[in-house]
Amino acid sequence: MIQHTFGLLVKPSTQWKTVAAMDDSALRTLLLYPCLLAILPAVAWYYGTTQIGWTVGDHGETIRLTTASARQICILFYITMLACVAVIGYFVHWMAETYGAQSTTIRGIVIIGLTATPLFLAGAVGFYPILWLDMLIGVVAVCWSVYLMYLGIPIVMNIPEERGFLFSSAVLAIAMVILICLMVGSVILWDFGAAPAFTD
Amino acid sequence: MSELNTALEHPTYNYKVVRQFAVMTVVWGIVGMLVGVVIAAQLAWPALNFDLPWLHFGRLRPLHTNAVIFAFGGSALFATSYYIVQRTCQARLISDKLAAFTFWGWQAVIVSAAITLPLGITTSKEYAELEWPIDILITVVWVVYAIVFFGTIMKRKTSHIYVANWFLGAYILAVAILHIINSMEIPVTMTKSYSVYAGTVDAMVQWWYGHNAVGFFLTAGFLGMMYYFVPKQADRPVYSYRLSIVHFWALVAVYIWAGPHHLHYTALPNWAQSLGMVMSIILLAPSWGGMINGMMTLSGAWDKLRTDPILRFLVVSLSFYGMSTFEGPMMSIRTVNALSHYTDWTIGHVHSGALGWVAMISIGAIYHLIPILFAKPRMYSTSLINTHFWMATIGTVLYIVSMWVNGILQGLMWRAYNQDGTLTYSFVEAVAASYPGYVVRFLGGAIFFSGMLIMAYNVYMTSRRDVESQALPATANAV
Repeated sequence: MIQHTFGLLVKPSTQWKTVAAMDDSALRTLLLYPCLLAILPAVAWYYGTTQIGWTVGDHGETIRLTTASARQICILFYITMLACVAVIGYFVHWMAETYGAQSTTIRGIVIIGLTATPLFLAGAVGFYPILWLDMLIGVVAVCWSVYLMYLGIPIVMNIPEERGFLFSSAVLAIAMVILICLMVGSVILWDFGAAPAFTD
Repeated sequence: MSELNTALEHPTYNYKVVRQFAVMTVVWGIVGMLVGVVIAAQLAWPALNFDLPWLHFGRLRPLHTNAVIFAFGGSALFATSYYIVQRTCQARLISDKLAAFTFWGWQAVIVSAAITLPLGITTSKEYAELEWPIDILITVVWVVYAIVFFGTIMKRKTSHIYVANWFLGAYILAVAILHIINSMEIPVTMTKSYSVYAGTVDAMVQWWYGHNAVGFFLTAGFLGMMYYFVPKQADRPVYSYRLSIVHFWALVAVYIWAGPHHLHYTALPNWAQSLGMVMSIILLAPSWGGMINGMMTLSGAWDKLRTDPILRFLVVSLSFYGMSTFEGPMMSIRTVNALSHYTDWTIGHVHSGALGWVAMISIGAIYHLIPILFAKPRMYSTSLINTHFWMATIGTVLYIVSMWVNGILQGLMWRAYNQDGTLTYSFVEAVAASYPGYVVRFLGGAIFFSGMLIMAYNVYMTSRRDVESQALPATANAV
């Protein structure tokens, strides 16, 4: 499984072609891939927010979360990451016919799980949270993931590149809508019980 | 495109006024966005107002909004609506003189705005800052605009009124009503007037106007543009004509109720706030009708994407339209609004609509129009359109992301309190924490603005009679 991570980062085209050639049972084992990789950001942020802490502004005090609060939030975070992969993956499958591709739900989820590799790895910044550095790394990771998706969808779905471009753009639009759902969901949850508790 | 006309002036259509407005779209786009970049820089580096009142953020900000919405967006709407109504009705505008009057009248409005706003002459009503003499001029120009538009529809040669004209007609009618009702004011001097409404009613009228300026000027008008240029550029019929009619009526019926979500947690009665919130959430459905229709129309034209960067502008504009019309209803939920209101999240939301949807679709439409209006086979340089596309996309993304981060940061800092009930952060600490976001926003805006300069060069070279269009690149990259 680890060779997929390196493969996607170093020689993405070849790696996507390997994935495209897999049969259904091989793809099914790849469903584990996001489940494993998502552990990294969840653990990283748990450690970073409870042990290291972060500052806001120029001379703010270091802010930390209580371990109980961080545990609750990081478990929610882990579940949310996997739910996003599953939902976007399902949408990939759902839209595949429109763009002339043969697909299964598993294939859609596997594509998105692999696409998110840079994002999962970038989640490691949580070990030492510095707000604006993390944002910059996050933006780079998002761009990398978007690139991987635009590259991967036509290859794995076996459709012409231009058609893949439109397909990927539609997936990107869905991903943006999901992102808004996350922002809004977090804000609402904040009001209904999952607000972080800070150490004093 | 080349089969449509061979001479500079079409034998039957009035292209002159379309050409004037199309060129001014680019000019005002550059001016308005430059002012935007300047005030973005001022927020990051406040010394840039040079202690001059005319360069103060509070005076330049309305200049920016008026210039991009009414000068840039307005010129784009005038140009495309005059073009669309003639082509789809197969009739020349009813009067060239009246059309010319709307052009010069509208330019006069813009120039007076550019003079009065930096001088500090303002009604202080957001998006309706212009004082009463200019308001009267706007009314006159707009009524003439309506006469030209609907007059042309009345003398149409085809029996059917194409759906783009429905949207444009709704935009013209609604903006007339909104402007007249919201701008009711009692003049005191030539440069000062007071609203006839008082207190909460004034606020409600203001945001009934403000939100429907978004709804009818920036949404219905540009959907009209979309319904002509997307099928035209994709060379395919609209995916579902029935959907376009259904979502037209739904949009018109629902949008007008959504204004109160700008006044959550204010003196506005609670039931009105709730009504605004519910109507805003319902609004998602008709808004997305347009996105689905546009996307599905474009999805059949995938084979053209390799050679046609204009199509990419249209694809991306519809994606941003879909995103921002989803974000809007979410932000109107009161719990969310409690965090997002008064923060940069709102500014990010506005610009995902303004840069991503309104500007992108206008740019796509203008790139489609310019060669036709100057009797050229295509734009001078297709690769420059491609460059512009990427600059516009990257600029928009940087802008939105930085404002999201800033908005949530500000919202959380403002509401954070200590166990003894005192606030954790002072306001200025939230401002200081926003500094990196302001720099990124400035960069994003500057990139978008530079893209407009490339467009201006491309338009200029296309307009020159002595310059041939560049050959199309043999193998352009699809991505």
